[in-house]
Amino acid sequence: MPIAIGLEGSANKLGVGVILHSPPPTSSPASPPSPHDSAHSDDESAFAQSKSNPPPVQILANLRHTFVSPPGTGFLPKDTAAHHRRWIVRLVKQAMKQARVQVEDIDCVCYTKGPGMGAPLGSVAIAARMLNQLWDKPLIGVNHCVGHIEMGRTITGAENPVVLYVSGGNTQVIAYSAQRYRIFGEALDIAVGNCLDRFARVLNISNDPAPGYNIEQLAKNGKVLLELPYAVKGMDVSFSGILARVEELAHRLEKEGSSWTDPATGAPISKEDLCFTLQETVFAMLVEITERAMAHVGANQVLIVGGVGCNERLQQMMGMMASERNGSVYATDERFCIDNGIMIAHAGLLAWEMGFHTKLEDSTFTQRFRTDEVLIDWRD
Amino acid sequence: MAASEFPCSLVVDVPLLDHRLASTAMRALQVDAELSPLVRRTFSLVGREDSAGDEEENSTILRTEYSATTNRMLRVAVNGFMESLGVVLQVMEELDVDVLESKS
Repeated sequence: MPIAIGLEGSANKLGVGVILHSPPPTSSPASPPSPHDSAHSDDESAFAQSKSNPPPVQILANLRHTFVSPPGTGFLPKDTAAHHRRWIVRLVKQAMKQARVQVEDIDCVCYTKGPGMGAPLGSVAIAARMLNQLWDKPLIGVNHCVGHIEMGRTITGAENPVVLYVSGGNTQVIAYSAQRYRIFGEALDIAVGNCLDRFARVLNISNDPAPGYNIEQLAKNGKVLLELPYAVKGMDVSFSGILARVEELAHRLEKEGSSWTDPATGAPISKEDLCFTLQETVFAMLVEITERAMAHVGANQVLIVGGVGCNERLQQMMGMMASERNGSVYATDERFCIDNGIMIAHAGLLAWEMGFHTKLEDSTFTQRFRTDEVLIDWRD
Repeated sequence: MAASEFPCSLVVDVPLLDHRLASTAMRALQVDAELSPLVRRTFSLVGREDSAGDEEENSTILRTEYSATTNRMLRVAVNGFMESLGVVLQVMEELDVDVLESKS
């Protein structure tokens, strides 16, 4: 029963997870063993586990510590790396204690090779290399995006969905084909989460637990839909122009206060209205490019992964589109959609089970690592 | 590599308990190339001055030699090295196999 430990630190979340992959059962787990089984041939009792179904997993530990910067600021690489250095050993120890595993139970040490922020990735990579040598366990470099996708597939059970991966650092629409996660559409400039986070700074919205979460709560009380550019470019999206415009609106709000009113109702425009406007606009764009990809590949399932995937309004809007196409939306809760170590352990273990490992001298990290660079040989 | 091009230099010697730990530290740190072309770095394992006998087993000191075009570049590079070294030492101290076994 393979067990992996995964270390994740590509942005301001430091995650350590320990996962166990259970082997596929040889008979139906629901029915108790009957006298018939031994008398009958193998094909009746064998459980067909096609390669496309992810293995059953056990989350033995999933710990995370987030570096939160003060309102009005973002997290910078130097400070984030310092945070990760301060917390990595503590989290690894705690994770192993919670998982009740010893070094000899662990089969491989997985770490985020990229993409992400350089210095933070580096702090975690060094810790992983140390564990690889001190513990004498194989090292697996994992693509952060593939980690999100594989965790989403396993937790939700979605068979072959179009994946919308949306976070502070990434915005991609992905579909699986021939052992690669292929990018059908993406943000051309900044990620949607980056747009939301930077807007939060202008309004001094708290970064605790995450700026996007606080924008979501404020948006629930917003009613006025102001005009923002809508920048869908074919299969791709662009957010930097929208950010520039919404920041202008935020400065206007700060300057004019309650004298800026909604022409229709006369009520003053609030920061809740700005949050609402921004979410409705960018989420509609994401739904559009996701739908376009679904039409291209003939899928009707959508899996949303990444930190922005926690947003319930996005899930709701995507759900409306999917049900019009007789499909459904799959999403995970904050344990898995926000960056975490368990997804790195999971994707790493899948690769290790196919015979993959990363040599120490190749265990670098990189800010740019395309999702389709990874051979997904655990799927057919 | 002409010494005159990289006039600012510093040697950092980190004494460790045994050859295994020194070698582990070196192998973990040497994977990442120096980011700046204005900085050169070499790692080696050296023995303690007072030690005698088997050369390899006595190489317990991690020697890092930095040379850079300016003192500022040298400072930046060495600061980065110290930060990484901190992680290396902390993992050794708290997560090595014997440490975990004794705590369990």
